[in-house]
Amino acid sequence: MSTTNVLNPGYASDSENYLKNSTGILSWMFTLDHKRIGIMYLIGILSAFALGGALALAIRAHLLEPDGTLFTNDQYNQVFTLHGAIMVFLFIIPSIPAALGNFLVPVMLGAKDVAFPRLNLCSFYLWVCGAVFFICALLGSGLDTGWTFYTPYSTTTDTSVILATFGAFVLGFSSIFTGLNFIVTINTMRPPGMTWFKMPLFLWATYSTSIIQVLATPVLGITLLLLIAERTMKIGIFDPEYNGDPVTYQHFFWFYSHPAVYIMILPAFGIISELIAVHSHKHIFGYRFIAYSSVAIALLGFLVWGHHMFTSGMSALTTIIFSALTFTVSVPSAIKVFNWIATLYKGSISLTTPMCYAISFIFLFTIGGLTGLFLGVLSVDLHLHDTYFIVAHFHYVMMGGTLIAFLGGLFHWWPKMTGRMFSELGGRISCLIVFIGFNMTFLPQFVLGSRGMPRRYATYDPEFTLLHQWSSYGSFILGMGLLLAGIVLVVSLYNGKKAPSNPWGAVTLEWQCTSPPPFYNFARPPVVGDPYDFHDLRWDALTENYVIDTPPRKVAPETLPLGTPAHAGGQD
Amino acid sequence: MIVSNARLLADFTETFWFPESASTFSAEVDSTYMMVLWICILFMVPITFCLFYFSFKYIKRKGEPAESQVSHHTVLEVAWSVLPCFLLVLMFVRGSIGYIDQRKAPEGSDTVSVKAFKWGWTMDYGNGVFHPELHLVVGRPTKLTMRSSDVIHSLFVPAFRAKKDIVPGRYNEMWFDPSIASVKVSDEKLAAAKAETKEKFANVFDPERYQFTEDGYTYFDLYCTEYCGRDHSKMQTVVVVHETDEDLKAWIKKYSGRPEGTTPADYGALLYSRRGCASCHSIDGSKRVGPSFQALFGTEHGLVSGENVKVDENYVRESILEPKAKVVAGYNPVMPAYKGQLSDDDIESIIAYLKSLAPTAAPATTAAAAP
Repeated sequence: MSTTNVLNPGYASDSENYLKNSTGILSWMFTLDHKRIGIMYLIGILSAFALGGALALAIRAHLLEPDGTLFTNDQYNQVFTLHGAIMVFLFIIPSIPAALGNFLVPVMLGAKDVAFPRLNLCSFYLWVCGAVFFICALLGSGLDTGWTFYTPYSTTTDTSVILATFGAFVLGFSSIFTGLNFIVTINTMRPPGMTWFKMPLFLWATYSTSIIQVLATPVLGITLLLLIAERTMKIGIFDPEYNGDPVTYQHFFWFYSHPAVYIMILPAFGIISELIAVHSHKHIFGYRFIAYSSVAIALLGFLVWGHHMFTSGMSALTTIIFSALTFTVSVPSAIKVFNWIATLYKGSISLTTPMCYAISFIFLFTIGGLTGLFLGVLSVDLHLHDTYFIVAHFHYVMMGGTLIAFLGGLFHWWPKMTGRMFSELGGRISCLIVFIGFNMTFLPQFVLGSRGMPRRYATYDPEFTLLHQWSSYGSFILGMGLLLAGIVLVVSLYNGKKAPSNPWGAVTLEWQCTSPPPFYNFARPPVVGDPYDFHDLRWDALTENYVIDTPPRKVAPETLPLGTPAHAGGQD
Repeated sequence: MIVSNARLLADFTETFWFPESASTFSAEVDSTYMMVLWICILFMVPITFCLFYFSFKYIKRKGEPAESQVSHHTVLEVAWSVLPCFLLVLMFVRGSIGYIDQRKAPEGSDTVSVKAFKWGWTMDYGNGVFHPELHLVVGRPTKLTMRSSDVIHSLFVPAFRAKKDIVPGRYNEMWFDPSIASVKVSDEKLAAAKAETKEKFANVFDPERYQFTEDGYTYFDLYCTEYCGRDHSKMQTVVVVHETDEDLKAWIKKYSGRPEGTTPADYGALLYSRRGCASCHSIDGSKRVGPSFQALFGTEHGLVSGENVKVDENYVRESILEPKAKVVAGYNPVMPAYKGQLSDDDIESIIAYLKSLAPTAAPATTAAAAP
């Protein structure tokens, strides 16, 4: 008898498979299973992304000509506002934490579910409710304030500001509930042996994100309620006509919305830490520095909101202090990039689709991060503020960063979520097209900005035409790349190969259950070791799966859970 | 040879990244920008090289173990966390010094007060002279005292590398010292442009089309960079920098009232486009923020209070000076008051212009028909 066991859970039976153990629309609508809620979120946010993306392409098509090709100025203002609001509130903020996080956090913890499954379902329905408000605003008189709702424009325009802000208010609660749930889950439901420093880095990132969600989002809620109160009851808070101050609104708004930038990017850091380590089959370099830098970013992120307001007329001292604080945030972000590259060094790299996305993330995010330095330098910011330079910078961070990481994560965990392998060739081609299209769209915008092209312009001076056209053509390529990625994933659902439990060779817990996981995730709390120790990992050519050799282990309790869930008649 | 090539390269990168450099701030901002750019390149090149080199060099077959499983190296990690901070401090200090310079206008600067509104600019040159264009003198520091009558705007002159938000309910200030003067184009060119404008473009002179202003000066762009609604992207004007103070004074004098030989209706039409009426009141009957001026004079219309009012001389005068007193039904009370900004003759001219737009207008008062 051998002294080691081979960890290979095989395949889930239909009655155990969380996707198939119960059927019917109601079994999804009222599910408390975090995995199903994660899938519902995924469908929701991808629909939002498709809508926001279509609006983005419409914007770029409009800007092919200096006088615009598609819209009147009013229509253009509504289109760019909805693009921003939908992407920020309905897509990026919930993308990684709510969709991937919901699926992954409990499985990575070896737990059966999140701490509060009902709260989890509630947060999904709040998201739907918020999305409905946004759609009502869109179908009503539209929204033309920009996603920032700056007063006094937002208190005087005729469009559906109240519907949209109320939607954002409701979405805020969805976000708070998710964050709260994850904080409690990670604090209380880690399996025996998983100390804080044995957690996968994705969980550190999720934990840091959740702290921001819980602490910062209420401020947005209060701000938006004040805005609604001012609009409906003419209470003077932000509008100078009633003795308010518009700059107060900007302080309140960015006190949330700057930390929200880190709600968007921190989970992406978590994904990349996983992807780089797993596909290099090498211990992540500098685990503690990466973990601490997530927390540092979360905390420092609360102190730098003023850098959105360098030209608003704050006092010189305040402005300079905010500039200094802004530079401190760049340090933990840089640490992560260095650590990821050190992890690649002397690894055993598989250039899979998720890895390709992770590599393009590092490239794009580094550009996004470095161009932030220009904006932190006060004298240069006075020139670049509110120009296309800003637009390019935050798209490099939000889209080149978060969206690319989200796609990488989606490809990475797709076999786990759906039980299907996708076409590697198709996936890699999509990554290449997205990479080329992305750079072609946004690199010219840096030059546009430093040459003085203001943002949010429906029409522009003829000297900017060439760069705008490059950007537009790039965006069409980018759109095709994203469409191809979507097609690759959807096709895999119909004729993809059945996924083994551990196709990439990862050692975190989610790869130690079947693909897709059973509804109970794990029969027993799994044995926890270092999440990045690849010594015992072995490629098993026979099952086309990575397996882990583990020392023999006595299991307790000795009885297994029932093969079918209670609500599907499994109790008797 | 090498030196001249390097200079050529420097020239190329400067003109590649920036618009014309035309104030005392530009050189400092541009060189700070280039410094940050080089620091970024210093990081970007090795990062990109390592990223792609490692990614391809260490590709291995499935199951082949990694050559190394090193999990950390404290000295290296502390080094790459701490060393870049020195560059951060350098950038922060240089940026802040540049910022403080832009913050405080020197004693004895010229001043111009600026009013921003949806969607235009009015510069106040004193003595009742208002004009949408910003006119300055080369080498003379000029301070702008800015206010907004509706929402937040932002004044941006790319060639000066200067920008400041204009927040309603407070005065924001900015200053700059223009270093390059505008050039006056030849009279023939100007006359040709004016003739073409009159013929083809309904006498609305567009500086963008000819790259010089109605008075024949080359100019720098001035943009609004804080989103302010429908015509945000049209909220542009021009900055003209005069060679001498006398030149500026002569220009101001030209706009200090109705020139001799101009009929009130013609002058009213000028005021209509110059003082911002055009952004809210159409003359072709289309509805904008305010009622159209087409065939308005002499008609009767309903107010939000439910009463009716006849559009006569007194009503127009009141609506210019105190727009919120009688608001037409279906419109919001958003027009800024022009009290103290228009002379009696100006108001008289606008009334004459309105009369000329009405079909029943007496031919005696309208020498030039409305376009």
